[in-house]
Amino acid sequence: MKSLTQRGNSDFYTGLLLVVIAAIALIYIRTLTIGTVLDMGPGYFPLGLALILMGMGLVIVVKGLTTAGVPVGTIHLRPLCFILLSFAAFGLLVERAGLIIAILAQVGLAHFASRETTWLASAITGVLLSIASSVVFVWLLKIPVNVLP
Amino acid sequence: MIDVFAALGHGFSVAATPLNLVFCLLGAVCGTLIGVLPGLGPVATISLLLPATYALDPIGAIIMLAGIYYGAQYGGSTTAILVNIPGESTSVVTAIDGYKMAQQGRAGEALAIAAIGSFLAGCFGTVVIALLGPPLALMTQKFASPDYFSLMILGLVSAVVLANGSPFRAVSMIFLGLLLGMVGMDINTGEARMTFGLIELSDGINFVALVMGLFGVAEVISNLENKFTRIVNHSKINSIWPSLKVLRGAWGAITRGTLIGTLFGILPGGGATIASFSSYALEKRVSKTPERFGNGAIEGVAGPESANNAAAQTSFVPLLTMGIPTSATMALLVGALTLHGIAPGPTIISRQPDLFWGLIASMFIGNAMLVIINLPLIGLWVRLLNVPYRILYLVIAVVCAIGVYSVNNSSFDIYMTVGFTALGYILRKLDAEPAPLLMGFVLGPMVEENFRRSLITSHGDPMVFLQRPISLVLLLLSAVLLISIVMPSISRRRQEVFQE
Repeated sequence: MKSLTQRGNSDFYTGLLLVVIAAIALIYIRTLTIGTVLDMGPGYFPLGLALILMGMGLVIVVKGLTTAGVPVGTIHLRPLCFILLSFAAFGLLVERAGLIIAILAQVGLAHFASRETTWLASAITGVLLSIASSVVFVWLLKIPVNVLP
Repeated sequence: MIDVFAALGHGFSVAATPLNLVFCLLGAVCGTLIGVLPGLGPVATISLLLPATYALDPIGAIIMLAGIYYGAQYGGSTTAILVNIPGESTSVVTAIDGYKMAQQGRAGEALAIAAIGSFLAGCFGTVVIALLGPPLALMTQKFASPDYFSLMILGLVSAVVLANGSPFRAVSMIFLGLLLGMVGMDINTGEARMTFGLIELSDGINFVALVMGLFGVAEVISNLENKFTRIVNHSKINSIWPSLKVLRGAWGAITRGTLIGTLFGILPGGGATIASFSSYALEKRVSKTPERFGNGAIEGVAGPESANNAAAQTSFVPLLTMGIPTSATMALLVGALTLHGIAPGPTIISRQPDLFWGLIASMFIGNAMLVIINLPLIGLWVRLLNVPYRILYLVIAVVCAIGVYSVNNSSFDIYMTVGFTALGYILRKLDAEPAPLLMGFVLGPMVEENFRRSLITSHGDPMVFLQRPISLVLLLLSAVLLISIVMPSISRRRQEVFQE
């Protein structure tokens, strides 16, 4: 039981996250010229940073395993997933289907992110937002994007 | 001295153009708005509005973004006093005595003193920028690359001071930010680095996508986790004109608060929040009747509110004269300047006098506007608290998406925002602050450039950083600052300040 609570602490996961990111960076830095102190290549500074980050990550992992720290906060999947999805939908649709459909799709998905939204209020907000954005961003600020498909 | 006045006059001619006045007003109104609305800090809002300023000319954009920042210091106090909810972390202490005063039917008095104190402190802070800016910039122009490198280190260390929680983890966040800042083209060879073969990353990670994800959207998601509570305002606002007796009582506190705030704003690792806490502590200590504090002492409102405004102004000094940000908000402004093609640093004053003096003049104008926005229109702001978040977040999400898209007209930036939102959310859950990450990201390329240049000129001798006197002093300062955070007695005090 004790080990479980220890593993659940935020230090462990923070450290793990840093180690993983540093490792990914190191894989890509491998392909760069490192050079020497006198003739630093593009990879010299990033390599140093990634190694330090890796080291610090490992220290934090060890600290997380040996001492009881702050527990990881509860992750609420509902707002997280729907907000992220709503942005992805906007990105996918804005060039293919135009601004209005992209906004309506985004509001439609973001609607589910909260339990307190009502369909009527969200629908009105969505329609008003698509009109206002078309006027402000496309007509006034001249963002090069189609309003309709 | 005469030069300063002439330059300021020129600044006013820049800031008083109708268009720039509109931007100044827009910034002040937006700032008050976010200050009033809890759960939407200046960092999040500036990152949300950053793309909107992309279409503006750089001077208008900076005037507006700066207005948001100092405007938030005014707005934050309103809700702290009226409903005991500090809109900003800088107004936390204001709520202690301010809300007590409101309960005693002295809300108008507290609001008026807060606004007057803020105005005087804001103007004083602005004068300090005008007087201190040019000589500091001249001094910084003598800096060689090793000195710059050490200056960046000092800037990064100050990010650790401002971070809540373990300093070691804050440092690791800085390194993560520095590493993210390396993505893109290598300055010397033009070779693509860590771009995962994606052509969209060859210019580096889009700054707007990074801040919008880490701060803006991630904050929206965490707000959605809590039940939305409707805030009811019970306290009536009596006359907003304070009596002479109250003014006399608050005068000393306003003066002391202004001085503390001015100092803390300039110092690395200072900032508006710490300034307001220190001012409250000082007022309590110098008062002959400390028992009144916590029961509606006017000094407890006047001091901290003056301090946070003075600090909000003077924190522009390191940014405009040396190009180093001392807080996450200032790091955002570095990003904003860079987006507009202006390299922040000592050359701003000589090469962009319109920008520097125009910004300073706009601060005077903006502070005056804020008093008007805040005092007579106070009822309007309080009513704004009733806008339901279930509608607000939809609006924020759509504006964010369009904003990110409009910077490069690229959907890729939106996907990148999705990625950084996920990262920002995870970091929040892990109790790791993204602010030091942002500082590392912004300073990363400059740190590398100066590091490489220093070692080339010194023929690979790393001792060059200790041999140059300026560099040595800056490094020693950084070391002292870092040690002071790690030292148990001081770190305990720091925790207390954050816990309060």
